Amino acid sequence: MSNHLIMKGCLRRARFTLDLDIDLDLSMPLGILGMTGAGKTTLLRVIAGLEPEFSGRVEFCGEVWHDGDHFDLVPTHRRGLGVVFQDSRLLPGQTVGSNLAFAMQRAPLVDAKLDYETLTKALNISHLLAESVDILSGGERQRVALARALLTRPRLLLLDEPLSANDADHRQQLIARLSDWLPAEGIPLVYVSHAANELAQLTRQLIVLEQGTVTEQGETHVLFEARNDAINKGTQSVTAMVMSADAEHGTATLQLDHDAVGALAPGDRVLLHREPIEGSGLGAALKPQSGENEG
Amino acid sequence: MPGDLQAVGLTALLAATTTLLLVPIASPLAWWLARSSSPFRSLIEAVVAMPLVLPPTVLGFYLLIMLNPESVVGGLWVELTGDSLTFSFSGLVIASIIYSLPFMVQPLQAAFRAVPEPVLEAAATLGASPRDRWLNVVLPMAKRGYLTGCVLTFAHTVGEFGVVLMMGGNIPGETRVLSIAIYEHVETLNYEAAHMLALGLLCFSFLSLWLVYRFAGHRFEVVRG
Repeated sequence: MSNHLIMKGCLRRARFTLDLDIDLDLSMPLGILGMTGAGKTTLLRVIAGLEPEFSGRVEFCGEVWHDGDHFDLVPTHRRGLGVVFQDSRLLPGQTVGSNLAFAMQRAPLVDAKLDYETLTKALNISHLLAESVDILSGGERQRVALARALLTRPRLLLLDEPLSANDADHRQQLIARLSDWLPAEGIPLVYVSHAANELAQLTRQLIVLEQGTVTEQGETHVLFEARNDAINKGTQSVTAMVMSADAEHGTATLQLDHDAVGALAPGDRVLLHREPIEGSGLGAALKPQSGENEG
Repeated sequence: MPGDLQAVGLTALLAATTTLLLVPIASPLAWWLARSSSPFRSLIEAVVAMPLVLPPTVLGFYLLIMLNPESVVGGLWVELTGDSLTFSFSGLVIASIIYSLPFMVQPLQAAFRAVPEPVLEAAATLGASPRDRWLNVVLPMAKRGYLTGCVLTFAHTVGEFGVVLMMGGNIPGETRVLSIAIYEHVETLNYEAAHMLALGLLCFSFLSLWLVYRFAGHRFEVVRG
């Protein structure tokens, strides 16, 4: 049962139901892909024990964390998690160093190569240790949150769009670091992102969520190849990162994935069906006939 | 004059005791009021805030009824300690705790409400138990609320008059606090002594409020009725 994650049950909200029946071996890093509102973050929150209304069973490594109505079989603080939330959630009013110390003081004693020095240096936050987290940029906050999550010495690492506020260079560096570190430390990973390139580089298996239900499941490269085939057959898709958004002038700067650059021609009209948020990813199918894109 | 000094000492002792006892009493109550979605919350909030709008004499009157030696509570106290709760320092402490409850609860409630739930969730994922989260996340973030609550409770207790008069009377060394001493000086036309104490209280009240505004900003919600 090593690294097996089993989730069966549902979470009902007023306009949304998360309905899960999955059994995954997290020896291979797992990616979760889906549009905004598909239930990706909620799924991570269920794993973390932060959704008390989830009715069903959550099991990891043969240990039942949640079963039916017995929510606190294993409460969040005893699950041995490392979590990076979309909004970082650093302890306000404290320094970067205090935030990292908070994690280290509660971490189990394990022989890990990823020590404090290595992490802070590699994540480029060693010069910020004495700074208050309240003055950090979005990218810096995410890197501190990532360091903090890794310093908990997690049995399971849950990352929810952890790099979205970093620039492209930092993102690539961080992906490379995580690709090296996590297999070496043997830390199972669940990675939520809109960015197909991040998922392709970091994960080996993928589930696709749509309106709270898993619609596709398989190896990451197989699923992405199937999507590329669809592109070649005419139903093209693009993924892009919103670099900046100017609501006043109705403009946004998108950084397109390499493949998408070839799929669009100058003058093509791109229709977005949601407000572009700086640092977030967009993914959509292209309609070549109309030249419109639904983002 | 020695009687006045004794009144100052007794008042300080009463205010300090009330403040110290109210911290552990008000903390869980304020936490529950700040975080609960129970339908009874507004009811409890109204009960806690009653001393803000009730005339102190009304509160003192009911406390006198509830705590006198003939009552269940008062009788039990006499059996346990041999002393009466009415017209005693112990009775004054109980009355002060009830009378000053909103002055401690409301700033704490506001401070606890300002602690973001997402931060507590993050602390839980970092391995912090509920008690750990309370001590190491909530308390540091609520320290201004505690400062405000303590200063206001202390200052309010120092200024108590109606409840003290009803519950404690005017027994030197036991229940004769500052406000009673001032009242007695005025009654006996000893305006000079009344001035001394009244001016001292005025300065003390101003300093207390200045301390609150200086170090806690506007983060308290107490509205004096």
